[in-house]
Amino acid sequence: MAEIIKLSVFRFDPEKDDKPFMQTYEVPLLKSGMKLLDALNYIKWEIDGTLTYRRSCGEGVCGSDGLNINGVNGLACITPIEGLKQPIHVRPLPSMHVIRDLVVDMDHFFDQYRQIKPWLQSESPMPEHERLQSPEDRERLDGSYECILCGCCTTSCPSWWWNGDRFLGPAALLQANRWIVDSRDEATGERLDQLEDAFRLYRCHQIMNCMEACPKELNPTAAIGHIRRKLLSRKS
Amino acid sequence: MRVVKEPGAAHSGLSDWYWQRLSAVVLALLLPLPFFLLVAVYGGAVDQQGLLDILDHVVSRLLHTILILALIIHAYMGLKVILEDYVHTIAWRIPLIGAMLVMMATFGIWWLAMIWAWI
Ligand code: SF4
Ligand code: SF4
Ligand code: FES
Repeated sequence: MAEIIKLSVFRFDPEKDDKPFMQTYEVPLLKSGMKLLDALNYIKWEIDGTLTYRRSCGEGVCGSDGLNINGVNGLACITPIEGLKQPIHVRPLPSMHVIRDLVVDMDHFFDQYRQIKPWLQSESPMPEHERLQSPEDRERLDGSYECILCGCCTTSCPSWWWNGDRFLGPAALLQANRWIVDSRDEATGERLDQLEDAFRLYRCHQIMNCMEACPKELNPTAAIGHIRRKLLSRKS
Repeated sequence: MRVVKEPGAAHSGLSDWYWQRLSAVVLALLLPLPFFLLVAVYGGAVDQQGLLDILDHVVSRLLHTILILALIIHAYMGLKVILEDYVHTIAWRIPLIGAMLVMMATFGIWWLAMIWAWI
């Protein structure tokens, strides 16, 4: 008989339930190297079709299955079952409005992303071919472009929990910095203007939860520090 | 596409942060001095008259002034951040920050008056 994995999964259907509750499931260990997403899929396909969660790529690329796993944010699809304490507590991303079960409302998160204008802004005339960038300048985007906007960092940030309506949060700020360091972007000044705010940027208290939560091992804290230094050097 | 209704940046975050860091550096440099003095007094290296002479010296008074200003700026900035973090109602936040500012300024003026023997 296959080894059994015990899970305790957050359930809430606002149309039926008054209150959220944790439901226990038992899933066989299907293969070595099995990921948490495989267990959730097994529950959905074989045990309980009502369990609701987001997932798409299944390999850590789309960023849709950010969850709180045993108290730590991460992507279900790349989190190995092995090494997780059982029963595995699976909850939606913290501080988020739950739509159903493990599905949370990401609208505000993406609104904040839109606020940093995540696209190239340039005044100089369009070159005939592509906008060139030296390998060194391209290298400066390493550590930022890999972000898949899963929200694991932002929803683990205590400052964002208390002031998420105004503080942009680590994910959006990492991307703000990504455009500030991009050699092809010509809106650095306006970008900095838009960040210089006691709440939007400076609400980060360097707690570094974001860095620990990031499944892509990116470092939003360092990016925030870089924006601060940019602002400082502009003024001094 | 949903339009983000958002008031934009207040363009004031840098100075808060800057003063908090600057005052921290000044504190780190100056705060050990009174402790050295204290140790010297308890160790018997400085007697009461010596202590008064040191405190009376114009350089000590200047350093003392800078220290107390840095202390007040640092405490004010730190408590302001805490109030901003946890008090979300503007109708509470602004009076609380204001009250704190008045209290700290009073304390600072009182202390400065002692340093420079105004009273
Ligand atoms: S370092 Fe800043 S952004 Fe990251 S978790 Fe801490 S407060 Fe939030
Ligand atoms: S920085 Fe990391 S944790 Fe945050 S959204 Fe990007 S990939 Fe996810
Ligand atoms: S399913 Fe795409 S990142 Fe996990």
